[in-house]
Amino acid sequence: MGTEKDKKHKNYAVIFDIQRFSLHDGPGIRTTIFFKGCPLSCAWCQNPESQKAGPEMAFYAEQCQESYACTGICPQNAILRAKQSRINYDRCDACGKCALECPFNALRIIGKNWHYKELVDESIKDKDYFLDSKGGVTLSGGEPVMHVKFLQNFLPLLKKHGIHVNIETCGVFKFKEIESILLYLDLIYYDIKHIDPKVHKQYTGADNRLILDNFTRMVKVFPKLQARIPIIPGVNNDRGNILATARFLKQNNQTSIHCLPYHSLGAAKLARINSGPAPFNLQSITAKDLLPIKQMFQGEGIHAVVYD
Amino acid sequence: MQLSMTEEKPIHQKCQQKSQQKTRIQNLKTAVQNYKPGVCTERAIIWTTYFNNRDNRKKPQVIQMAEALKDVLLKKSINIYPDELIVGNFSSKRVGGSIYPELHGVPVVEDVFKFSGRKTTPLQISGSEIWQLLKIVPFWLFKFLAIRAYKSPFKKIRFVFSQLRAVFYLINESGGISHLAPDYEKLIQIGTDGIIKEANQYQSSVPKKSEKYYFYEAVKIIAGGLAQFGERYAKLARNMAKDESDPVRKKELEAIEQACLQVPGKGAKTFQQAVQSLFFAQIAINLESLDNSVCPGRMDYYLFPYYKKDIQSGLISKEEAKEIVAAFSIKMSEIIPVFSKRITRFHGGMFSGQVVTVGGTDYDGNDSTNELTYIFLEVMDELRMRQPNYHARIHVKSPEKYINTINEILSNGGNSPALYNDDIIVEMLCKQGYKISDARNYTAVGCVEPVSQGKSFASTDAALLNVPILLELALNQGKRFNSLVRSGAKTMPVSKMKTMADVNHAFEIQLSFKLNKLIRDLKAVESANRRLHPTPLTSMLLDGCLKSGVCSTAGGAAYNFSGIQCVGPVDTGDALYAIEQAVFVDKRISIKDLVKLLKNNINDKKLRAYLRNLIKFGNDDEEADNRTIYVIKEFMKILKKHENTRGGKYVAGLYSVTAHQYFGEVTGALPHGRKKGESFASGIAPVNGMDKNGPTALINSVNRIDFTETANGINFNLKFDSLCLRGQTGLLALGNILKTYFRRGGMQVQVNIMDPKILLKARDNPELYPNLLVRVSGYSAYFNDLTQGMKDEIIRRTCITV
Ligand code: SF4
Ligand code: SF4
Repeated sequence: MGTEKDKKHKNYAVIFDIQRFSLHDGPGIRTTIFFKGCPLSCAWCQNPESQKAGPEMAFYAEQCQESYACTGICPQNAILRAKQSRINYDRCDACGKCALECPFNALRIIGKNWHYKELVDESIKDKDYFLDSKGGVTLSGGEPVMHVKFLQNFLPLLKKHGIHVNIETCGVFKFKEIESILLYLDLIYYDIKHIDPKVHKQYTGADNRLILDNFTRMVKVFPKLQARIPIIPGVNNDRGNILATARFLKQNNQTSIHCLPYHSLGAAKLARINSGPAPFNLQSITAKDLLPIKQMFQGEGIHAVVYD
Repeated sequence: MQLSMTEEKPIHQKCQQKSQQKTRIQNLKTAVQNYKPGVCTERAIIWTTYFNNRDNRKKPQVIQMAEALKDVLLKKSINIYPDELIVGNFSSKRVGGSIYPELHGVPVVEDVFKFSGRKTTPLQISGSEIWQLLKIVPFWLFKFLAIRAYKSPFKKIRFVFSQLRAVFYLINESGGISHLAPDYEKLIQIGTDGIIKEANQYQSSVPKKSEKYYFYEAVKIIAGGLAQFGERYAKLARNMAKDESDPVRKKELEAIEQACLQVPGKGAKTFQQAVQSLFFAQIAINLESLDNSVCPGRMDYYLFPYYKKDIQSGLISKEEAKEIVAAFSIKMSEIIPVFSKRITRFHGGMFSGQVVTVGGTDYDGNDSTNELTYIFLEVMDELRMRQPNYHARIHVKSPEKYINTINEILSNGGNSPALYNDDIIVEMLCKQGYKISDARNYTAVGCVEPVSQGKSFASTDAALLNVPILLELALNQGKRFNSLVRSGAKTMPVSKMKTMADVNHAFEIQLSFKLNKLIRDLKAVESANRRLHPTPLTSMLLDGCLKSGVCSTAGGAAYNFSGIQCVGPVDTGDALYAIEQAVFVDKRISIKDLVKLLKNNINDKKLRAYLRNLIKFGNDDEEADNRTIYVIKEFMKILKKHENTRGGKYVAGLYSVTAHQYFGEVTGALPHGRKKGESFASGIAPVNGMDKNGPTALINSVNRIDFTETANGINFNLKFDSLCLRGQTGLLALGNILKTYFRRGGMQVQVNIMDPKILLKARDNPELYPNLLVRVSGYSAYFNDLTQGMKDEIIRRTCITV
């Protein structure tokens, strides 16, 4: 049993989206692969459907036309007939049968098992654009490193096609895990969400010692590392945290950071699933709002790039 | 000190001059844009008067044409408007269109009372003008071209009626041919005097009173007429100058007089004269035959020597040259087509199709972009007017500056220029029999059709075929779904269709049945054009006609083609794929039940959703894409079996202007979930909203088509939401995605960055834009899946960054 499961982890990974023509996840035109499952559970998560590791069902109430094509076929008898909810999550095992029946795409399965070979085929479909734009593939999520066994199969095959690979990580992993795939990575986007362990734990569910530790080790062996920080108003945008972060970067010989303004778009997804963090009611901010942050970083000699 | 003083002065002068230019161009633009377009009756009246004269009708046809057109040029009213630098009028109205009673005339006049009141493209016409038009109707009632295409009364009626309600196909050529890029380079160089000299030489070696003899005679008549047309403006300018109190304007008018005395009669000596010369010819050719797609073509290329000379001699500055280009560009919007509502359904949006092409290569394949190229691009972007249609040629060695200029214009929301890939088009043209140097001198005409400047007579918009409707016939033994009458070929009943091959076979038979019928009718119209409507003016500006002594309508030009548009290949391909999946692979429904469902206009919501969800062209799915390619190939296969009456090939076009909408309206439900009457996809675009994997996937699909075969051009409309292409990142991505498309053999693309307001529309009508992706780093969602509040937020963000 154990070996079979192991084999599964090597060959398959649950992926909840593949976005082609991604322009904001690294250089050039990219295909971003969103892996499912995350060791953290940030309150502000923009892809809350990524947090749970396995496939899960989502119900889009606005799309539902109450045709009830979904009833009767559910092996778990988990279909509800209420206006705002269709699934009894206590019973549902996310087999996805009801989603196939629904003509209006109101029921969707989030997360599909991809074989690494299939995923390579999918990833290289836009190879020509990668070539012309100096783009490539970005592994995002969730936390891609959770799928390290899969990546050990996937990445060597992908690299055979000469594709630039970027990974977006939260830094929570055993170092030897990422070490095993470092050879295949061209760029790492590494999030530092908060410098204070306590606050970090409060908002993400885990303290940050492992993250900072991994960061320090990583910069020594991997030159193309790019630190990033999501700016969450009231959580990590205070002067104290920014300066501390800047100092941490300097200690690690880093000269730049990418700042991502918080947006509340992830919240739209929360109502449709039965997982993810509790609603986090914050107003979105824009690139303009990050100007003072940028200046604080610059003041410390850290070049800050603000995303729009 | 001294030095810097003298330096300052001219700069100061220049500034003043520049602002003067700006107001002149602004004034001209405002005058043209604010003018309510009207119908001009002059051509119709003068033409009728000429043909009313029995003695005239005894002359050889080609002489009649030349004399009638000359009469128009000498008798039509002329005007020089305030601020103008380039003069000449298409019609008696500042912005107006003419009526061609001998061509599509009488069916146009059917709308005479409705022109001013109608909703789409209303046209001004006065009571007395209506009266004048009505008076000439009886004369042309049984004399216009379509009705004279067939001799037998039965065939006459069948043809005219089938064309009035074109369900299966429409023959445009019955309204005249045009669609050419005349040899303006030659006209500018040697003037009509030079052309007359040439005609005289050729004429002296052919027997008197032979067909060729009269052709040369006609050329001389109309060449002379064109020169006199210019002289009329010289005289007008002289008179106006006399009365002009403003000394600056007086000088301008005197310069106009000088120009019009020189051209088009003699060769142009300056840049301004060169532009003036071709503009007079532009007017006259539009008045000769169909006023559609008379294209100046590669102006930046053939005008450059004149520009360079004037700049070097100091005669004009770069700014002044730009002003001349802008003045010309605005004048090109003074013509509109007069269409009845019926025709507007095929050719919407006041389309005149006058193309100006920039960039590309010279005859040897070296890059030909120059200072004028950029001037034209600037003028295009600053004016953003209806006409001319600006197109840009791109090849592997196009300079970076040129590409970047274009990308910047496009990503700032200009939907011009349309882009053309030299590397593929030159190869395609050579495959069609062009000499490589002629292929390299191509320009698009009309919408998207590549032809050799001054050498091709390619009737690129000869006819359009409704292809998806043939699938309707194939699924119903040659009958429409709602009809007992057989309008196609008799093919196998669906109850007997056991495999996809059976379905394909029936479709192929219907396709060849209707396409052959179309070609038969088209050939009748081709010979009617040759018999009844020779075009000596067009011919004298097409290489080959003078030498051979043969009119372009009779095959005198160096290259001859006829373009037939394959309308709806994508819908047909998707429908075939849907049949295969639903009936033979998924076995979700029997083919008999499927046809029943179609006859009932797909009245089962669940099945419709299933059919619509089947994969479609444009998603980078090879199997689905291959269906569309199959349809295109079958279409071309049939065309290859025929030759037109001018000795040229029939070639396929993959663009549809607005015909995809009209043909969609008259076609029944189709298996890919499309209901009766819904518009088809335009050109080779995917069915609306069905490209779900973004632009890279869409382009991968489009790149599967072999564009070295699509000789009559394609239209690939690539839409981006401004959300996705925001900022510098977006600009770079746009450039790169186009680079990939062309490098892999793409032929043409028209980029549309949708107004940010589209997002508002998408918010309020989610079904219109089902696949708008929200692209923020590390975030994944469709716009439609956001809540109202978040959609609003995205809208706010996008509008800020754009
Ligand atoms: S099948 Fe879809 S549309 Fe019908 S009730 Fe179920 S969820 Fe709603
Ligand atoms: S996913 Fe499977 S178990 Fe869950 S509700 Fe749908 S059919 Fe039932």
